Amino acid sequence: MTAATSAPVRVIVSKVGLDGHDRGAKVIARGMRDAGMEVIYAGLRRQPDELAEIALQEDADCIGLSILSGAVVPLTRRVVAALEARGMEDVLVVVGGITSPQIETELAEIGVEGVFGPGTPIERVVSFTREQVGSRRSQQGR
Amino acid sequence: MSEDLSAARDRWLDEHAEELDDTWREHFATTSGFDVQPLYTPLDLEQRGWSYQRDAGFPGEPPFTRGLHAAGYRRRPWKVEMYAGFGSAEEANRRYRYLIEQGSTGGVSIALDLPTQIGLDSDDPMAADEVGQIGVALASLADVETMFDGIPLEKVDHVFTTGNCIGPIAVSWFLALARAQGVSPDAFCLQVQNDPIKEYIARGTQFLPIEAAVRLSTDVVQHIAEVAPTWLPISVSGSHMKQAGGTCVQEAAFTICNGIAYVEDCLAKGMRIDDFGDRIELHFCTEMDFFEEVAKYRATRAVWTRLVRERFGGTTERAYQFRLHAATSGRPLTAQQPLNNISRITMQILAQVLGGCEQTRTASFDEALGIPTEEAARTSIRANQIIAYESGVPYTVDPLGGSYYVESLTHDFEQQIWELIERVDGMGGALDAVRSGWFQQELADGAYREAVEVDSGERVIVGVNRFQVDEDPRPPTFELDRDAIQRQLDRLTGLRERRDAERVRAALERLREVSAGDGNVVPATLECVEAYATTGEISAVWREVYGRYEPEAMRL
Repeated sequence: MTAATSAPVRVIVSKVGLDGHDRGAKVIARGMRDAGMEVIYAGLRRQPDELAEIALQEDADCIGLSILSGAVVPLTRRVVAALEARGMEDVLVVVGGITSPQIETELAEIGVEGVFGPGTPIERVVSFTREQVGSRRSQQGR
Repeated sequence: MSEDLSAARDRWLDEHAEELDDTWREHFATTSGFDVQPLYTPLDLEQRGWSYQRDAGFPGEPPFTRGLHAAGYRRRPWKVEMYAGFGSAEEANRRYRYLIEQGSTGGVSIALDLPTQIGLDSDDPMAADEVGQIGVALASLADVETMFDGIPLEKVDHVFTTGNCIGPIAVSWFLALARAQGVSPDAFCLQVQNDPIKEYIARGTQFLPIEAAVRLSTDVVQHIAEVAPTWLPISVSGSHMKQAGGTCVQEAAFTICNGIAYVEDCLAKGMRIDDFGDRIELHFCTEMDFFEEVAKYRATRAVWTRLVRERFGGTTERAYQFRLHAATSGRPLTAQQPLNNISRITMQILAQVLGGCEQTRTASFDEALGIPTEEAARTSIRANQIIAYESGVPYTVDPLGGSYYVESLTHDFEQQIWELIERVDGMGGALDAVRSGWFQQELADGAYREAVEVDSGERVIVGVNRFQVDEDPRPPTFELDRDAIQRQLDRLTGLRERRDAERVRAALERLREVSAGDGNVVPATLECVEAYATTGEISAVWREVYGRYEPEAMRL
């Protein structure tokens, strides 16, 4: 492992869309920080483009979206599109909130594999993120 | 006597020491952190200097610890209210008719979709994916008229909606609708939550700077006191703060602090608590810590009563007759083994009934999975009815009154609430505590603590971290009608073409002038609503006059 691949994982945790319940987002943000990641909590109602810009400026490895309204799939799709538009396909997107097998299938189709429902232990989100970011970094030789 | 009792208790503790030490938990405490003793006796009340007359008193009399009404539920059982609303106004209309047929006695309770709550129209680009998603889309008075088609307001009796940051719009819809149906405002009771402060702390529909939001809110309280004095223009809410991570004590104390901010703003507008004290509601949610929940409702009544007398200058009986509203909480409900939630909901209803709440809103067992189905909503109504009509619980007033444990807990609870009020006063009051982020940080800390406890298994959630079964969590069973959303957008387009554009423009201009000055904004808002100006157009005026709420990014 090189020094670069062991650098702290940089994460932007954010609410996207209009839903303002941010308990889960704040818990995960703090859990990731306590696990040694560098975390920015971007707050409420961020637009997909705005979020992609923050990720670009912060050189983020991961964007964690928290969505409790019914609009999980379209909102996530817009964030993924905003990242692609900036050539940032390597940024991992993980999603937390109300989910279902159908939502998970639809998100997997746009490359989002980390979808975490209610009651997911913080550790599972942390280890998933760390593994995924690790493999993305090593693929890029970072 | 108490010396004998003291000696007797020591003997009992001594003789049973081994048994008392052999426990399945290292430490017994309530979720707010009060230590729980193995046994409570009259000594615990004596140590606290507890006096029956002063601290408990009689139901229907100050300090109202034992309830706001002398006869409790002997007069009538608590009102059972269901919260519903999704998709379009037409669908909501069908759902409300169904709930009324099924015996929901709490009238119509309207969940608004997020765009509406945030002052955006259904066709706003920001609203794209959220129209009708968690509530009904009300872009204009036309949608409200559709929603109440065939539902006479005087038959509904009680209409509730949130409208926290759009309070003047929400009350204007119903002032206008009453006029259109030809009924006087006192033919029914409109209740609006109209509590923006906690949006900034926990719920998140704020779109203006907080001072402006409070001004709109208290303008509603003031105007409604004049034109519809039987309505309930504000429900200061703790439930969202609790669900964001607050303890029972924080829920009660922070709500009371926000209540102080609203009342003091109303007093500054020249109102007198004697004239509107009975129009104020405090709203909480009930979770799983049974006795703490009971104590919370009892203690809150006592604290608010003292505030009315000592801080707000109340002199009439009316000044004290605030309302206490309880909702079971959706948060403890689990996606795993969802039928277990029926037991949780039943426990919560029982706690709030024993806490003396006169009106209850009840969650549904499938809430962790999505918008409740009709079967789940009905089961929750039935849980209330089983307690009311089968259990005998409502036969006497405040049956837990005098319990050594419950009275001790109520007493300790009150003290903690007073300490937190003092702390917030020291920061300059609730608005300053929001601006500095103190409330928000306290709740985030609590949420994180709880998550760590659940993950470690220290806090047991049945079916989640213990007693699990192999199961595929049931997917959400409720499907949203996409066509209905399209119809909503079409209706809005039609409305914009059909209405009198000049009348809309003039009404919005008048609203802009009033909003920029000191006058009450509600009459001008009503003019806009009656001209069929949209929720988004009216809110845009306020965004222009007052500025926008901006989220802050935070490096952890």
